[in-house]
Amino acid sequence: MSEDGYSLAELMCIEAARLMPDEGVVVLGLGLPVLAGALAKCLHHPDLVICTEVGAIDWRPDPQTVPRAPIGIHDLVLNEGSAMTTDMVDVLATLLMGGRVDLGVLTAAQIDRYGNLNTLVIGDYASPERRLAGTGGNTDIACLARRVIVLMPQEPRRWVERADFITSPGYLDGPGGRRRAGLEPQGPNLVVSTMGVYRFDTPDGGETGSCQPVLEAVFPGVEPEVVQALLPWPLQVAPRLREVEPPTAEELRTLRRLDPFRHYLVPGRY
Amino acid sequence: MGKSKLMSLEEAVARFVADGDVVYAGYLCIPFALTHEIVRQGRRDLELVGASVVWPTTELVLAGCCRRIRSGYIGGPLRCRDIEAMMATGELEYEDYSNQGLALMLMAGALGIPFIPTRSFLGTDYLERAEEHPGRIPGYKRLQVMESPFDGQRVVLLPAIRPDVVIMHAQRADEEGNVQMWGHLGDARWGMWAGRKIVVTVEEIVPTEVVRADPSRTVVPGAIVSAVVHCPYGAHPGGIAGYYDFDYLFFARVMAPALASREAFARFKEEWIEPGVSDRQRYVARVREVIGEEAWQALHLDRHVRPLAPVDYGYSAALNLPRREDLV
Repeated sequence: MSEDGYSLAELMCIEAARLMPDEGVVVLGLGLPVLAGALAKCLHHPDLVICTEVGAIDWRPDPQTVPRAPIGIHDLVLNEGSAMTTDMVDVLATLLMGGRVDLGVLTAAQIDRYGNLNTLVIGDYASPERRLAGTGGNTDIACLARRVIVLMPQEPRRWVERADFITSPGYLDGPGGRRRAGLEPQGPNLVVSTMGVYRFDTPDGGETGSCQPVLEAVFPGVEPEVVQALLPWPLQVAPRLREVEPPTAEELRTLRRLDPFRHYLVPGRY
Repeated sequence: MGKSKLMSLEEAVARFVADGDVVYAGYLCIPFALTHEIVRQGRRDLELVGASVVWPTTELVLAGCCRRIRSGYIGGPLRCRDIEAMMATGELEYEDYSNQGLALMLMAGALGIPFIPTRSFLGTDYLERAEEHPGRIPGYKRLQVMESPFDGQRVVLLPAIRPDVVIMHAQRADEEGNVQMWGHLGDARWGMWAGRKIVVTVEEIVPTEVVRADPSRTVVPGAIVSAVVHCPYGAHPGGIAGYYDFDYLFFARVMAPALASREAFARFKEEWIEPGVSDRQRYVARVREVIGEEAWQALHLDRHVRPLAPVDYGYSAALNLPRREDLV
């Protein structure tokens, strides 16, 4: 919690919501992406077409009276004002693999220097330190969405040199990695952490550039040196480093109204 | 009138769920009543499949009914350290996919084809390292990469799944087993189509005329359904659109602690499955006692989403089609 009375996790969700586009088809992954997406829909980008993989397409709640952001990706609140309620094949295959999803919003246990995500296991797959629930639609969205925004708390255990298990491709082993694997180009991809915003250096979706995250904005009061201290690889910083605007009163009020049970922003967690 | 598929929970499980079956158990309209009946009847060696497997799978593993999982998300079970340990030693066999992958595998099973291609998984560690883990299932071949013979595009082939039995909870059905669902279906549409046998509990049994006046809402026809059980609150503590919401209070107070370990589940089983509770009516009565009437009422809907205009599937009996002989 900062002096102004907002937490860094709150600002992470708010900044991610701001960075979503004004329009396009978005699939929200499980966890904080749902809260950020609901905030974007209710406040910043009302024309976004919000979908979740259980079959919700174009959720359009009344922003004034919606009682909560969906708890999980299957909450019955998604039945209110949806243009279509259908099934997983329609969302993760017909929409997503059919090339109709503009943006995926994801989180994961780990991210590495090429933006690859891991949702499956901490340590070696054959003898894991911790086995996690697994990927759900994370793999499919990372493979097939045209661009991705990742919410990733700035914790050393999450930012690693190489993901323990790549469940969800970023740029794999660097320039050309996606093409060599048979994937489409992707970008520009963003990561919003609890300290700043990174944009991947991928001018053409992964063929050239470093394919690594470049710090383009920091949260109020955060110095790049602090971020570097939490990263296992040399941090790239954009020539003109932006400072992220602190939350407005309306953003903070709306975010908290959408999370009435503190399901997402558990006090003291980030 | 078609043949009645209506029967008791006990009979449906006794007749249609066998030891060693591959079982699809959905994950949105959670078939808790059916799961508890399977535990009661002590089935063994089940394999649970589904895009995401959740708490029924946790219960079936902890009850000793399930020895194998194939899924894209092992959600509920992995909150339990005992199950994590079973996966680490290979006592519980498993294969990891994604939600799209598993849903497509069910689709392939439903379509009667042996495999299905996807463009997901390319570049991931699933391709090279999927066989490395201790719980691997011997003999399975999976995740084959190939280039399309038509245009050379790289795809990943996934094996089809045909569950021996599907257990599902739905909003309503008629006695003939025509099942109607609405809201998000997750992978249930293809999960049900893929099943060799389909057993469904429903909130309401309605006259077949109700189904036949709104047939687009039918997700699986009675002709391929084995059993329908009238079982109000059959998804509790899960929720179901139009009837009741997820019971987070009961879940936090009773269920989550019960699913934390084998010992805790053994106590839960005595109290909530058998001998403590012998059927769903007694289960519901106990839930109301435990969470209190106010919390029970709060589960029920205060926000409704209903059609604002009726739909009409009508047609013309008179039909503006000249008789053949008039056209000569």
